[in-house]
Amino acid sequence: MGVAIATPDLEPVSDRAVRRARLLPYALISPSLAVIGGVLAFPLGMLVWLSLQHYGLKELIAHQGSWVGIDNYRAIVADPLFQQVLIRTLLFTFACVTLTVGLSTLIALLLLKVRSAVRVIVMSALVFVWATPVIVAVDVWQWMFDYEFGVINYVLTQLHVGNFIHHNWFDNPGQGWAVFVVIVVWGAIPFVTITLFAGLLQVPGDIIDAAHVDGAGAWYRFWFVTAPMLKPLFLIVTCLSTIWDFGVFNQIYVMLNQRPSSDFYTIAIYSYRESFGVTQYGLGAAIAVVMVLVLVVVTLFYVRETVKVAEVT
Amino acid sequence: MNLRKTWIGVIGLGTALVAAACGGSSPQSTNPANETGTLTVWLMNGSAPPSVVDGVNADFKAKYPNVTVNIEIQQWGDIGTKLDTAFAGSTPPDIVELGNTLVAKYAAAGALEDISGKKSTFDNSSTWLQSLTDSCTVNGKLYCVPYLAGSRAIVYRKDFFDAAGVTPPTSMDGLLTVGQKLMQAHSSDPNFSALYFPGKYWYAAMPFVWDFGGDIATQSGGKWQGAINSSSSQQGLTTLANLVKTLSRADKTGDEAKQDAAFAQGHIAMEVVNGWEIGVITDKTSGNPALADKLGAFPIPSHNAGQTAPVFLGGSDFGIAARSAHQNLANAWVQTFTNNKNMSQMATVGGVIPNTTSLLSLGTGLNAVFYSAAKNSKFVPNSQNWANVENANVLPDMLVKIFTGQQAIPDATSAASTRITSILNGGG
Repeated sequence: MGVAIATPDLEPVSDRAVRRARLLPYALISPSLAVIGGVLAFPLGMLVWLSLQHYGLKELIAHQGSWVGIDNYRAIVADPLFQQVLIRTLLFTFACVTLTVGLSTLIALLLLKVRSAVRVIVMSALVFVWATPVIVAVDVWQWMFDYEFGVINYVLTQLHVGNFIHHNWFDNPGQGWAVFVVIVVWGAIPFVTITLFAGLLQVPGDIIDAAHVDGAGAWYRFWFVTAPMLKPLFLIVTCLSTIWDFGVFNQIYVMLNQRPSSDFYTIAIYSYRESFGVTQYGLGAAIAVVMVLVLVVVTLFYVRETVKVAEVT
Repeated sequence: MNLRKTWIGVIGLGTALVAAACGGSSPQSTNPANETGTLTVWLMNGSAPPSVVDGVNADFKAKYPNVTVNIEIQQWGDIGTKLDTAFAGSTPPDIVELGNTLVAKYAAAGALEDISGKKSTFDNSSTWLQSLTDSCTVNGKLYCVPYLAGSRAIVYRKDFFDAAGVTPPTSMDGLLTVGQKLMQAHSSDPNFSALYFPGKYWYAAMPFVWDFGGDIATQSGGKWQGAINSSSSQQGLTTLANLVKTLSRADKTGDEAKQDAAFAQGHIAMEVVNGWEIGVITDKTSGNPALADKLGAFPIPSHNAGQTAPVFLGGSDFGIAARSAHQNLANAWVQTFTNNKNMSQMATVGGVIPNTTSLLSLGTGLNAVFYSAAKNSKFVPNSQNWANVENANVLPDMLVKIFTGQQAIPDATSAASTRITSILNGGG
C-alpha cells in the first residue's frame, strides 16, 4: 500500500503520448493520401461512373451522359473480340515480362564478371536505351522493320537467312507480335538490369564464398543463395514490368501508323479505339475498368508477397 | 463546371484542348475595322497551298485589320480524336476544315453552327457541288460550307508505257494486260510495281466495288444494312485482289501515305491518286521534278470496256463551331476563303476541284482527267455514324485480310459487313 509509487501521476502523460504516437503516422501519411485520392481514386471513381453510362459524342459535347447500369460491361463480355484481346494481352505480357526479367538477370550477372571498362560501356548503352523517348525509338524501329527500305530485311537477306526482300513483318500477326515483344523487351531491359545489378552488388561476397567452399556450383550459388536474397527486387521488377507491359500502347500504335488492325489490339488500344475511334466513351471506360481490375489482381499478389518477405527478414 | 472539367480529365482530353484566345469582340459594332479578336482555324495538312492561305488572310486582314487569324495545320491520322476533344471543350477552334465524311457526325452531335440562314452570303452557293452540299446537310439544315473536292484517277509513267509498247487501258481486263506487260518489261527490277496499291487504300478499292454494282451499305426503312459482302461487291474485290496480287509490290498492310514518295523513286508505273498528289510526286523536296513531263493520267476503267468506274468523291468542308465566341467573324473568314477569287486560286494553284460547278472549266491538262472523273462519283453512306466506321478501320482491315490471304473474300467481307451494319445503326 504504502509503497505504492506515484504511477497514477504518470498515467495521463503516457496516455497522451500513446495517443499522439498513434495519431502521428496518420498525420504524416495524410498528405500523401490526399494526393493519391485526388489524382488516383477520384479519376478512377469517375471512370467507373463513366463506364455505367451511355456516353457518345453528343453526350460528350453536351457534358451529360445517360445511365445504363452494367450494359457496357454486358456488351464487352459478349464481344468475342474483347475476349481475344484480353487473352492476347495477357499472353503478350507474360512473354514480355519473362523475357525482360530473364535477360536482365543474365546481363546483370554478366556485369558482375566483366572488367570495369566493359561495365561502363554496357551501362552507358543501357542508359541510352532508357533515355530514348518511346516515340523516337519506335520511329527508328519502324524504319528498321520497314517493308521496302528496312535494314532488318536487308541484313537477313545478305546473311542468307532467307529471301527477306519485301518481307512484311506485319502480314502475319505471329511475326508482328514477335517484333513487338522485341521492341518492348528492348525498352524494358535497362531499368530491370540496372535495378538487379544494384541488388547483386549488395549480396555479401563472403556468403557466396562460403557456398563456394561448401562445394556449391555456379547454378546452385545463384539459385539458393543469390536469388532468395534478391527476391524482393525480383518481385518489384516483375510486378512493375507486368503493369507496364499490360498497358502497352505507344509501340504498337506508332509502329502501325496509328491504324493497327484488330489483330494488333492490346487491351489499351482496344479501349482507346472504342472510346475515341467509335466515340463510345462509356464502353471504352468499361474496358479500362476491366483492365484496372486485372492489374489490381497482379498488384494484390505483389503486395502479399512483399509483406511476406518483410515478415521473414 | 468543375464536374465537366473533371470529365474531360478522366478521359485524358485535357492536353489536347486548343485554347482559342478570346479578344473583346463587340457584336454590336458593324464596322469591320472596329472588330477585334482572334480566330483559330484548323486546316488539314496538304489541302491548301500556303500561298493561297496567305492570300486569303491578307484579304481578310484588309477588311478586318484588328482581327488576328491563327491557322493551325492538323494531320489526318488522329484528326477524329482531336476534333472530339476540341469540340468537347469550351473554347473549340472557331473554324474547322472537316473531311466530308466527318461532317454528319459532328453536326448531329451539336458541335457545328447551323448556317442555313446564311447560305446566300457565300459566293456561288447556288452552284456548289451537289455531293459536297449533301455532305453539309443534316436533317435538312446546312452545317458547313463546301470547300474543295478531290477525285481519284490513275497516274502513269508515259515513258514506261512507251517503252513497253502499251497505251492507257480502257477496261479492267485491259488494266491487267497492260500491267502484266509492264511487269514483264521490268522483270529485272525486284522493286517494280506496274500498279502500286497499298493494302489499306480503301478509297481506291471502292471504285472496283461500285463498278460491279456493289456498295458499302444500303439503307431501307431507316435501317442500314452492310452490302460489302453482296455478290457484286465480292466480284469487284476479287478483280481488285487479282490486280494487286499480279501487279503490286506495295506493302499489303500499309496505307497510301507514302505512295507519292515511292512513285517518285521510279519503280512504279501506275498508281491511283488524288489530283493534288501530282504536285507531291513532282515536288522538288518530297518528290522528283524531273518526272513532270513524264506523267499522264487516265480514269479508273470500268469492267465494261470503254466506260469508267465510279470514284469516291473526297472533299472538305468548312464548319463553324457552335461554341465559337466569334461566329460572325468566322463566317466572314469562310466567305473570304470560298469566294470566287480564292476558289479559282485553289483550282489553279492548289490543283483541287473547287466547290462550285461554275469553276470546273479551270481544270486543264492532267487536272482535266481528275475533274471529269468527279462527274462519275459516289459517296460513302450518308450517316452520322459513318465516321465511326472509318475510325474503326473496318474497310482497311478487311482489305488487308483479303490481300494478305489471311481470310477468303466471302469471310472477310461478311465480317466487315456485320460490323458496318452494327456501327451505322448506332452500335459499336
